Amino acid sequence: MLEESPSMQAVIRRSDKGPMQRFLQKIGEPRVLAWIAVATVLILWEIVVAAAQLNPIYLPRPTQILIALAAMFNSGGLLTDLLATLGRIFGGFAISLIVGTLLGIWMATSERVNAIADNFIAALYPLPKITLIPLLIIWLGTGGPFMLAISALGAIFPIVINTVLGIRQCDPGLILAARDLGASNRQVIKMVLLPSAVPSIFAGVRLGLGVSIILVVAAEMVVGKVGLGARLYLAGQILETEQVFAVLIVLAILGVVVTKAQDLIDIWLNQWRV
Amino acid sequence: MSVGIAIECDGIGLTYHAKSGTPVEALRRVSFRVAPRRVTAVIGPSGCGKSTLLLIIRGLLAPSAGRVSFVDERTGGIVPTKPRMATVWQGFNLFPWRTVGENIGFGLELGGMSRNERAARMQRSLAMVDLTGFESKYPRQLSGGMRQRVGLARALVMEPEVLLLDEPFGALDAQTRLVLQEQLARIVETSGTTAILVTHSIEEAILLADTVVVMTARPGRIAAEIAVDLPRPRSLATTHVARYSSLFDQIYGLLRDEVVKAMTTEMEIA
Repeated sequence: MLEESPSMQAVIRRSDKGPMQRFLQKIGEPRVLAWIAVATVLILWEIVVAAAQLNPIYLPRPTQILIALAAMFNSGGLLTDLLATLGRIFGGFAISLIVGTLLGIWMATSERVNAIADNFIAALYPLPKITLIPLLIIWLGTGGPFMLAISALGAIFPIVINTVLGIRQCDPGLILAARDLGASNRQVIKMVLLPSAVPSIFAGVRLGLGVSIILVVAAEMVVGKVGLGARLYLAGQILETEQVFAVLIVLAILGVVVTKAQDLIDIWLNQWRV
Repeated sequence: MSVGIAIECDGIGLTYHAKSGTPVEALRRVSFRVAPRRVTAVIGPSGCGKSTLLLIIRGLLAPSAGRVSFVDERTGGIVPTKPRMATVWQGFNLFPWRTVGENIGFGLELGGMSRNERAARMQRSLAMVDLTGFESKYPRQLSGGMRQRVGLARALVMEPEVLLLDEPFGALDAQTRLVLQEQLARIVETSGTTAILVTHSIEEAILLADTVVVMTARPGRIAAEIAVDLPRPRSLATTHVARYSSLFDQIYGLLRDEVVKAMTTEMEIA
């Protein structure tokens, strides 16, 4: 124990570091560094805009944007807009999750249904869903049903396709094992095919939710009276650039929250994968 | 105690169509009888259709010809409804999203048994394979040997009158295999179930079975039925007995040519 091996020396040297070195090491950590980079950009932005005396119509300072954001939340009804947008996104998304998963199961377990649905999906899937907005407005108007429809349309295709994929990839040995233990067709679907397809379905959910967000905000920009998209468009029209940025920040934060939540669900799902 | 069930396979044949459309004859006129409350081993070269035969006996695959009958040992008559059967698989086939306990309880859950009763039976069967305390682990957290003990417990919890074992220890290392073989021999003996063990190991067949059915290369047929008259309990020490060696040589003699045949047909296919 008294003999010092090289690795032990290394350990001692590490712990002998001064406070300055420890500080540098701490800010060198990737997570910390990522936030420092964000802060640096914001500070530079503030300084450059102030020093160059840019017109805030073109580029407001981050502090001005924050003040506008707070004002919009406090008295401008931004919370109502946010809730409306969230309701449209997740309402339509929930519809497509249920319908898409059921349709996917049906397609994966029936050759006929698969053959019938396949052509329609092949035709509709590559179509930019945003091109359907005029048609949907003619059919449904510009209210709630339209918003739910456009959101559901965005998410349903990746969910259907990934459900079919996930079910087809199910280990046949698991189906045999379930049948051996007495499972009916229904039970095989519910207790084997569906759970084994969950990671794949979730991959579809990831893709689909992203499209739903884009479509709902875009639709709101075109026809909405409330909602983040409507707010954004209106603010742009009257050259309230701080408000434009404020809405963008809300949308960006929404994106981050959704992505991180999906990451967490992914980690949770990974415990099943062998 | 459950009813002793004998199994009669009568002229079973299976021909299926390969992806290229050419018919492949996997089994031809396979007839043999499995004695009640005994272990019958089915041994043969790889690809001889022995696992397929097990699926047919279980009723998970329809044969092209012949039939499987289950006979009540007391009355000697064919049972009107299929006996309780359960299979232990070579690849374990555990549900990765279910815990050990939930895997074992799967069959009982399908049958609509209450949670409490299920838990009690799960615990009993877990104890049988020495895995008490592991019920909330996931399969991926266990070693291969432990996973297969879960597979065994999942079958035993169904209290099968017929236990089907499809190369249950094929994926395990030699030491784990020996321990599990002894464990299985004990469990089968005490439960009085009729068991069919599909294996490619002559040693495993002799140590576990009362009768060894030797199959030919594809199309699989019955080459011989050999009674194993070694006393129980058998262990590794049994392999040093003279009778063991003569049985081994007899089975190996039958298998050797078939294995060579299987290898050449495999080369033709490749």
